[in-house]
Amino acid sequence: MSDQALPAAAGQTVFGRRWPGQDMPLLVKIALLWLIGMIVIAIVAPMISPFVYTAPNLRNRLVPPGTLPHILGTDELGRDVLSRLLISIRISLLIAFGASIISAVLGTTLGFLAAYFRGLVEQIVLMLADFQASMPFLILALSVLAFFGNSLPLLIGLMGLFGWERYARISRGLAISASAQGYASACRQLGASPMRVYLRHILPNIASTLIVSMTLVFPEVILLESGLSFLGLGVQPPMTSLGNMVGYGREYITRAPWIMLAPALTIVCTTLAVSVLGDWLRDKLDPTLR
Amino acid sequence: MLRYFAIRLGRAAITIALVVTFAFVVLRLSGDPAQIILGPEAPPEAIAAFRAAWGLDDPLWLQYFHYFGAIAQGELGRSMRDGRSAIELVLERIPITLALTLPALAIKLCVGVPAGIYAALHRGSLADRMVMMLSVAGFTIPSFVLGLTLVLVFAVKLGWLPSGGQESWRHAILPVLTLGIGGAAVLARFTRSAMLEVLGQPFIRTASAKGVPWRDVIIGHALPNAAIPTVTIIGFMIGTLIAGAVVVESVFSWPGVGRLLVVAVANRDLAVVQCILLLVAATMVSSNLIVDFLYGFLDPRLRQTVGKAA
Repeated sequence: MSDQALPAAAGQTVFGRRWPGQDMPLLVKIALLWLIGMIVIAIVAPMISPFVYTAPNLRNRLVPPGTLPHILGTDELGRDVLSRLLISIRISLLIAFGASIISAVLGTTLGFLAAYFRGLVEQIVLMLADFQASMPFLILALSVLAFFGNSLPLLIGLMGLFGWERYARISRGLAISASAQGYASACRQLGASPMRVYLRHILPNIASTLIVSMTLVFPEVILLESGLSFLGLGVQPPMTSLGNMVGYGREYITRAPWIMLAPALTIVCTTLAVSVLGDWLRDKLDPTLR
Repeated sequence: MLRYFAIRLGRAAITIALVVTFAFVVLRLSGDPAQIILGPEAPPEAIAAFRAAWGLDDPLWLQYFHYFGAIAQGELGRSMRDGRSAIELVLERIPITLALTLPALAIKLCVGVPAGIYAALHRGSLADRMVMMLSVAGFTIPSFVLGLTLVLVFAVKLGWLPSGGQESWRHAILPVLTLGIGGAAVLARFTRSAMLEVLGQPFIRTASAKGVPWRDVIIGHALPNAAIPTVTIIGFMIGTLIAGAVVVESVFSWPGVGRLLVVAVANRDLAVVQCILLLVAATMVSSNLIVDFLYGFLDPRLRQTVGKAA
């Protein structure tokens, strides 16, 4: 547990010199390529989408895939499925990234606070973490949405509460063991503020473990967002997300299954890719996390 | 032993209190309850009367206490849609949901646990890799995609089974399968890693070195030790019996608690949502409690270390 905090193991951290890459299995390479592709699509989606994703075309409703110019067909209002898919990828990834970052920052901060103050603060953080871990997050999220209504920033913030307890537990444990080590007390002796010790010295040493847990939480965030949107309680129309598309496509499952198949496949491939990459990274960087 | 149970009970009570507090805070933050319940066009006198009747003019801490008191007496408000008591509405949906989640739990246990054990005992074999692949798939495929795929194949293409509704037992097959497959995959993966962890322990080597037949090593030493983490995840699954089918119930138009929750959230029927939230918290907490007690029996060490392991 304490090994990866030692500077001797720094070659294994993200900030070290030995970034593993040559011995990457084929499956991991495919996963990485897929994810890079998704991120590129998310960034350039509005530029490359062939049609305006909200533009209906009532004369071209439910066109099957393969009919030009609609490569992936059209939906019940004649909107181009490919264009909607591209924009959906953008929105879903935006939410997933935003939420993952929020929850990582929140969890790590709380974990560090618990490690620094110990005592009551630590007990409160651990109790909140227990609470969060013991309640199904979907139920908590649904209640918040019921009480507050829905908007994109609220949704991202809400998703950002997902999984923080894992970062908090990990960063607390690692920070406690790291601060007992030579380099942390050396910094303290030299007069570094606690803030500096934690952010400049301890954080880089435990970053690899935190990044690995991020890859484990990320697919769950995607699944959660798509689940909420599928229920019609996540991203609201006219905006669209992957889960949202599946939810609306369900109505046409007999006549036009392609409306839901394309986004469903995208969700599965993306979560699969992140999981494969995460598992590989975990084995590579941090065998203690299982 | 008594101390162990007392600490667990205390924690359970704190968790319930946290959920109630969460509901209270969220309810108060979301706006004036009088306005929400009476509607935006309510005359000011009616709102004032409502505020007085429900003690909304009291200081917040007093309201908080009253709120606790009301919940302790089972007063969870009335549904805004038909004025029926929220708790009644929720309770009558529970058996409908259990009709899906109990058979699904049986599938998870009967398929997931043996598959995980088998995979661990034959690590690296073809069967192991199959189990792992399926379990990764089970984890990454969202339940609505799995459910809709089953509908597409068995209801739309083959026409063997109905795609939704709750008229007969045949309607339950697809939703139960959807829930069971996903859960079994998670459980298999979990059991496998718990089992592998135990198999790597020195006491297993000791046991087989002193000549205990491998079969007896597994049954006598490996399985009981691997049971502890596995029981945790099973406990979590039991805790989600009531609310674990939200998405699947929506896919198959199954009128259970999950469906009620989704409709209540969409209509902002706060009393019903709050009631389900508290009910779910209560089931989660009690199943965690049962698991903790089971631990006490499964692993005597935990009874001693619990004080330190806070």
